[in-house]
Amino acid sequence: MLPRGLRGMGRLLLYLLVSGVAVLMLLPFYWMLITAVSPAPDIIAFPPKWIPSRLTLEHFQTAFDKAAWLTYYWNSTVVAVVSVGSSLLFGLFAGYAFAVYRFPLQNVFFLLILGTLMVPVQVTSVALYVLLAQIGWVDTVLGILAPNFASAFGVFMIRQGIKIVPMDLIEAARMDGAGEVRIVLTIIAPLIKTTLATVAMLLFLGSWNDFLWPVIVINSTDLRTLPVGIALFKDPYGNINYGPLMAATVISTAPMLIAYAISQKYMIRGVALTGLKG
Amino acid sequence: MRRSQVLAIALALLFVTPTGVLAGAAKKITLWYPAGDVTAGAAHFGDKTLFAEFEKKNNVTVEAVALDYDTMQQKIFAAAAGRNIADVLFIDDSWIPGFLKEEMLEPVADDKAKAWLAAVSPEIKTLSDYGKGRMWGYTQYGIDVYGLTWNKDHFKEAGLDPEKPPKTWDEFRDYAKKLTKRDAQGNITRVGYAIRHVGQPHGIVHKHFWAIHGAGAKLVDDHYRLRGGKTMINTPGGKAALQLVLDMLDVDKSTSLNFPDPRAAFLKGIASMQISETVSIQARQPKEAPDLKWGMALPPVPKAGDRPASNLGGWLYSVPKLAKNKADAWKLIEWLNSPAKDYELCKKYNASPRYTVNWDKEPFKSDPYNQGLKQMYPYGIKLPINLGFNGVMEATGSAIQKVWHHEASVDAALAEAEKLANQAIADAAK
Amino acid sequence: MSDTSDGAVIRCWRMLRARHILHAYLFIAPVVVLFGIFRVAPAVQTLLYSFYKVELLRGRFTFIGLDNFARLLTDPIFQQAARNTLVYVVAIVPISGILGLLLAVLFNSRFRFQEFFKAVYFSPMVTSTVAAAMVWWWMYNPQFGIINVLLKLVGIREQPWLMSSSMALPAIIIFSVWKTVGYNMIIYLAGLQGIPVQFYEAATIDGASAVRRFWRITVPLLAPTTTFILIYNSILAFQVFDQVFVLTGGGPANSTNVVVLDLYRQAFQRYDFGYAAAEAMVLFVCILGITILQYVYSKKYEIAY
Repeated sequence: MLPRGLRGMGRLLLYLLVSGVAVLMLLPFYWMLITAVSPAPDIIAFPPKWIPSRLTLEHFQTAFDKAAWLTYYWNSTVVAVVSVGSSLLFGLFAGYAFAVYRFPLQNVFFLLILGTLMVPVQVTSVALYVLLAQIGWVDTVLGILAPNFASAFGVFMIRQGIKIVPMDLIEAARMDGAGEVRIVLTIIAPLIKTTLATVAMLLFLGSWNDFLWPVIVINSTDLRTLPVGIALFKDPYGNINYGPLMAATVISTAPMLIAYAISQKYMIRGVALTGLKG
Repeated sequence: MRRSQVLAIALALLFVTPTGVLAGAAKKITLWYPAGDVTAGAAHFGDKTLFAEFEKKNNVTVEAVALDYDTMQQKIFAAAAGRNIADVLFIDDSWIPGFLKEEMLEPVADDKAKAWLAAVSPEIKTLSDYGKGRMWGYTQYGIDVYGLTWNKDHFKEAGLDPEKPPKTWDEFRDYAKKLTKRDAQGNITRVGYAIRHVGQPHGIVHKHFWAIHGAGAKLVDDHYRLRGGKTMINTPGGKAALQLVLDMLDVDKSTSLNFPDPRAAFLKGIASMQISETVSIQARQPKEAPDLKWGMALPPVPKAGDRPASNLGGWLYSVPKLAKNKADAWKLIEWLNSPAKDYELCKKYNASPRYTVNWDKEPFKSDPYNQGLKQMYPYGIKLPINLGFNGVMEATGSAIQKVWHHEASVDAALAEAEKLANQAIADAAK
Repeated sequence: MSDTSDGAVIRCWRMLRARHILHAYLFIAPVVVLFGIFRVAPAVQTLLYSFYKVELLRGRFTFIGLDNFARLLTDPIFQQAARNTLVYVVAIVPISGILGLLLAVLFNSRFRFQEFFKAVYFSPMVTSTVAAAMVWWWMYNPQFGIINVLLKLVGIREQPWLMSSSMALPAIIIFSVWKTVGYNMIIYLAGLQGIPVQFYEAATIDGASAVRRFWRITVPLLAPTTTFILIYNSILAFQVFDQVFVLTGGGPANSTNVVVLDLYRQAFQRYDFGYAAAEAMVLFVCILGITILQYVYSKKYEIAY
């Protein structure tokens, strides 16, 4: 759908621009990857070496030795799958309610849900921790999940997605005798497939990279999630550990790319609004 | 539906997954310490054999948990608020004032404190004593003393005696000028002296402490006063300290803002001198710059005959008031910090011992690095324990940045710093 | 129609309405209850702390009314943090949003290798902000960071970036744009997918140019998505923390100090939790106000069809 006038030179320039910026976008990743496989003297060499003298897997070795990656992966996966699953489910219904129904205090509830996003996590974490300590959820998987069973972002985005769906479809289904729950699950959900896939992927990302809350609520080493594990490689003063740190980051980033690839499958243009003329 | 099936499986797995460490028959002591190189050779709790002897004798298990340093204070705070905190905390002694404000720590028993203070060497006594013999924890071996480190090869190259560091500020400026190297365009490729002027304000002040106190200014008038008092940064000494580096930047052009991490620059060979924690260079040099020949000495003084100033800092074993297992915690700390253990661990990890008796034993007696440190310790000053100290540091760090970045004059910056620092002290005293 | 039929219709409609209201409450119940316990309660408690002198560990709370807020008004550091935060929000939300939209439109059409480009532009989202910021700290190094090296190649002088009080905040903004543009792109892409192809086909048949199609079809139908982007990005931008913490620590000379960083210091380094809560309260009111404004304004533009 590019403007018809943009042929030849203009088009070429556009492609060049997009490609150039793409290279810039990837620059930090290049550095991350290269550092992960460069020998230590190369990393701290000055002037910095942009192409290492040789490739080494020693940092991955160090990273694997120093931390229980499988445990971290498992914990991160459990937390991500459960929180994304429940957020999608609850968000789907709540989003539908906010988009379709008119009910008393509707806006109040919506702003309340949105409002949870407006107080910084850094300070609410303390109050939440105290609450969880009282019910014994500290240092448990439930503790990590507690604030993540639902997502304000999910509710909001699903609401916006459903707003585009024509009411006629819903009315038609109701007249056919379908219950509301049926409608949500069998009609709405497929229609907003793309939105759901996007929400799922972004929630997965958020959960996978969540650092602050797991750090505060978890003490046991066997409940650690990936970002917590990676943080142990941080060196605030120098850069000697950049090698293992980058290796650790690479190890932790791989599933994200898989999640992205999967979600892309659902990003096909929705032509499902057929059957309704005018 | 597929979605609910996935959810069901996940929930089932959730309850199968272990949700916590199963409590064994023996009692457990938890110890929290910062992970990574931030402790620069003072924390070796990853070694699983460290506690073996104690565990067997007392029928307890010791669980040492490594935490992220940057969020550690927040975590400790939340844990204390939730009454769910570790039994032993291995912490940065600069955190002590804040913890004291919240009355979070249990003091060391009076008799034990007296015995410790009598048996350790003077610099350890300085760090452990929080006024009138009060101790809030046991100081760990491997304490920091800030010193001047210089690159001996660079000195030789510039025609300077590699064994003679600059002793006065004039010499310091002179040496820095001679050591600076430039490329064909006139850009500095190697600074004579690297300065820390960005990042967390505390670090900036720490690394310029030698000049501030060396010139007669003080961050806080009474270092042992918890509440109240005032800053003495806006004094001729303070102004001279800031002016020194400003002159080196603008007049001598022997330093530059482009080398923001002095230790890294030093180890990379692009800075000939820097002043910061000596422990850190000692720990990092073998790995990062194996060929570097370096010297270590007290920082220079304004004029010949002045007393050098340096800052002391270290880590502390403390027990929070809200810990569940305090008796065993204290037992562990006392065992870990006994004279015998001190000797054994310091020998193993090449750190300076704490007990006077151990200093007389080999290898410490004839080790040049440790003996060199011993010469420097007496000039080390402990940082103030004022509750408003964080505010003082931030205000001073800001002032230093503004001056060296040419955004404010020395007088204006220090006047503002004084106002903000005194405000912080007053606010904290309420 | 006879009267009884009208009455029946109205009765039927009322019952349907009641049924819908019941459904509405049922559907939002899980979210409301879970949030209520685990997010709203802690947030409200935290905000209430702003009216107290809080000694959390001693369990002592002294009511001091508006004292914390009075102090905020005369606190130059907080005022600077507030200014910095506003500048940051005003810069990042439009820039990242508009760029995201343009990229989405571009990659939604017949653009070669669009899947590859989509993945590339999205990739910054994949790493944690902290890890990415550490890499960028390194890249911004004036002496040997890659950014200055590249600039020198095209003849531009070395820039001090994070070392300069005037450049540090723009440097952080650049990082944030890099980090968030892919996110906005993905969301706009999702929004674009929801626009039926028929609309464009009909318009093309009617002879509308690409630009006209963009302004008359795409932009209006993307209104719900744009609302979301604006509101969500603003809420996040007001609370920026991770990258500032890693890249500059608030400096140089507080030129990049932002509200959340300031309140973090107050809470966990100065242990003045009440004052930190007051800052959070001010931030909350500000974000809430702006969100309500955006929300109300958006209702005018959301088309129901």
